[in-house]
Amino acid sequence: MNAIIQSVNPSDDSLLLGGVNLRSRLFVGTGKFSSHEIVPLVLEASGSQVVTMALRRVDWKNPQENILNYLPPNTILLPNTSGARTAEEAVRIAHLAQAAGCGNWVKIEIVQDQRYLLPDNWETLKATEQLANEGFVVLPYMSPDLGAARRLQDAGAAAIMPLGSPIGSNRGLQTKELIRILIEEISLPIIVDAGIGRPSEAAEAMEMGAAAVLVNTAIATAGDPVFMAQAFHLAVVAGRLGYLAGPGERRITAEASSPLTGFLQEG
Amino acid sequence: MQIIVNGEPQETSSECTVFQLLENHAVTHKAAVVELNGNILKQEHWQSTLLQLGDRLEILVFMGGG
Repeated sequence: MNAIIQSVNPSDDSLLLGGVNLRSRLFVGTGKFSSHEIVPLVLEASGSQVVTMALRRVDWKNPQENILNYLPPNTILLPNTSGARTAEEAVRIAHLAQAAGCGNWVKIEIVQDQRYLLPDNWETLKATEQLANEGFVVLPYMSPDLGAARRLQDAGAAAIMPLGSPIGSNRGLQTKELIRILIEEISLPIIVDAGIGRPSEAAEAMEMGAAAVLVNTAIATAGDPVFMAQAFHLAVVAGRLGYLAGPGERRITAEASSPLTGFLQEG
Repeated sequence: MQIIVNGEPQETSSECTVFQLLENHAVTHKAAVVELNGNILKQEHWQSTLLQLGDRLEILVFMGGG
């Protein structure tokens, strides 16, 4: 079995991002978990190497323990700019995160629409351009639009992160066709970010050729988040193998799997 | 004297450093980030920076997020 996996999934099938060779193509978010204590267990089960977090004003009356204290060493920190409504605010958050010792990776997330939390591609482009010029590894969360993705690529994004469906909705790949086009047309890694709600949907994105997926709510709100993290890990590996293996052609009509000669009743 | 912390007015003594303010509120863990009057104040300057009347501070920490 191992030999088969290695023949299809060579050991060099890592995702090169920001100068790092990532073995895991599952990125995990740390929001909405019932406690900080479960986070390291989830991360271990997920095998994830890239983990997102948010920067917020400290609550004076009830200072919470820092989420960073619960992440395994060597985790790549991917602070998001959630809360930003403009490019300027996103850039400010990125600078603050860097000053806090978070490294130079950043997930640009710029949202004005509070009902669907859909990203503003125009402001996202402006923030991407500035931060990429400053040397950040910029991963922009975006509405899957080919023109916007091309501009983000030209602006220096390290990857493109289209949404599958609205953040936290667990509705899966509602934007599947648009994501398929991005995978086909954009040479940067496409990392499906929001809305993936089931392991099967993560596998589907990977089978389509997504470079990675980012999952948070689906794991955090599962009955057993640790089991679900493991399920997502397996789904991402399975989907990736399916993509590398090259799925067979789809047909409208049947094509017999068994030989059509030598039946018992012949002759 | 009054300063503004995360948008809220707050009274401090006149000889208070940024570090002491954070310590008083149990927020000295190293991944906090401080903005003083719109500029990032690096951690190595927390102990040497005395708060001034009317200073505007933003004190941020990392939380779970996706």
